[in-house]
Amino acid sequence: MPGKSLSPWTLGWFGSAVIFLLLALVLAFVCDLGPGDWARPQALAVVHLFTLGWLAQVMLGALVQFVPVLTAYPLPRPALALPALLATGAGTLALSAGFLGLDGHTGMQVLFRIAPLVLGCGFALVAVMILPSLARKANLHLIEVRMVLIALAGLAGLWTTGGAMVLTLGGASLTVDLAQMLPLHMLFGIGAFLSFAAFGVSYKLFAMFLLAPETAGWQRRWVGGLAAVCAVLMLAALAVALSGAFAAPIRLALSLPALALCGLYLDDIRRLWRNRRRPALEPNMAWSRVALVFLGLSAALLPLAQWQGGRMAEAAVFAALVGWLSTLTLSQLIRITSFLTWIQVFAPLIGRRKVPVVQQISDRVTASRALALWSASTGLGVASLLFGSHIAFRLALAGLFLAAAAIARELVAIRKLWHLPVADRPPCLPPIIRPSVHPLSVAEP
Amino acid sequence: MADPQLQDLRQALRAVVDPETGHDLIAMGMIYDLRLDRDRALVTMTTTTPGCPLAGFLRMGVETALRAVPGIREVAVTLTWDPPWSPDRMESPRPRP
Repeated sequence: MPGKSLSPWTLGWFGSAVIFLLLALVLAFVCDLGPGDWARPQALAVVHLFTLGWLAQVMLGALVQFVPVLTAYPLPRPALALPALLATGAGTLALSAGFLGLDGHTGMQVLFRIAPLVLGCGFALVAVMILPSLARKANLHLIEVRMVLIALAGLAGLWTTGGAMVLTLGGASLTVDLAQMLPLHMLFGIGAFLSFAAFGVSYKLFAMFLLAPETAGWQRRWVGGLAAVCAVLMLAALAVALSGAFAAPIRLALSLPALALCGLYLDDIRRLWRNRRRPALEPNMAWSRVALVFLGLSAALLPLAQWQGGRMAEAAVFAALVGWLSTLTLSQLIRITSFLTWIQVFAPLIGRRKVPVVQQISDRVTASRALALWSASTGLGVASLLFGSHIAFRLALAGLFLAAAAIARELVAIRKLWHLPVADRPPCLPPIIRPSVHPLSVAEP
Repeated sequence: MADPQLQDLRQALRAVVDPETGHDLIAMGMIYDLRLDRDRALVTMTTTTPGCPLAGFLRMGVETALRAVPGIREVAVTLTWDPPWSPDRMESPRPRP
């Protein structure tokens, strides 16, 4: 049946993630967060709304949708997508509320303790959905598949370090050294889970959107190998830290393969770009280049961040989370939402009548302006953290919120087909967050 | 000289467009083979990647477009990814670096 590889809840994941993004940015502004404020309970709540609610949810939703494309094998249990979405959303809210509890709101303590369990259920459900497709023998030679598998190991490390810290902060008998665990938690989350998954998925997505040959060169094989080395070092550092010994030397040693890995990935993408058959770039690819610049910047700052901490670490983490991962995600979100909407509404009409192309259901000017504002605000945010300017950081937050709101509005416009002439819109549109393919009677005007 | 009905079939396939690029399937190099066996059209085609979510829809679109050609009663479409599609199969020229 056509469209069977579409996950029915992908737009639910994306919608939930965008709401978390807007919520995190509003709260960051309202709570008056700025450079040096990141240990405050409100800051921890905001950071987890951003990382878990926005970035992790959008990545998990993208994996559920994209793994069948990557592996050419359908998900065996697609129905688990909805409970996984609900569990990760509820877990994120519980964790963020629990962080506020650290500030004296005693009623939130219970939420704090159950949050890792709820989040763990959500992560496990996603793993149960996508692992059987990824781990098929026929796919294991693909570097993209291996990167996503390593990313799932990173997700496990992220959850373990996070859970251990929650137990410690919540006053459980098991305690860990937070100073050792926190850098590892960030490395697992930003590096092993989100970045390695983004590397794997982007190889396929970039080749598709640029119309570039997918052949893997020596750089890609090295990227796969170095990602495995980084993941092993992180797991070794975690084992050492859990045993109570000093894990910093292993963590510092990680900087070298991580830098090499990012350099080779960027070189591989440059090769893909040069071999493209699509001369004119769409906004999603044009603004992905800014994300790649922020990846280079955050990788360059990593050794200094690990060595010095402080402002350098804040700037590196901001460049990675907001500049690299969020700019890439927001750019591609517009395109993927357009594509999924097009499939729902117009794919059943292929060969029957003239249909618009995917680009026509989004507005490239609106998308480009919003992504430009996002990128400029991110640059200002990185600079304000490096130089410790509170007012500049608040200005950056305002810019990020306006850009995110403009992109959210554009996503709604895409789903409602507002950019198409009224005559080209079907009389009945599919629900805004549920991308099931409708029969011709719905799509045919 | 090519069979006029085969030309009609090719013309019909020019109306089936890849929604990502706006190019038709022949310009995209996705039609590997097109034959005519009396009133039966036989097509071997591919998609840009084996896991393409559009594969089933493109196959249906090709069937629908060819069935509309006068004289065609039956259409058999075979989807294959051997050899895999590559951008080198496209008709359009390469961009300047």
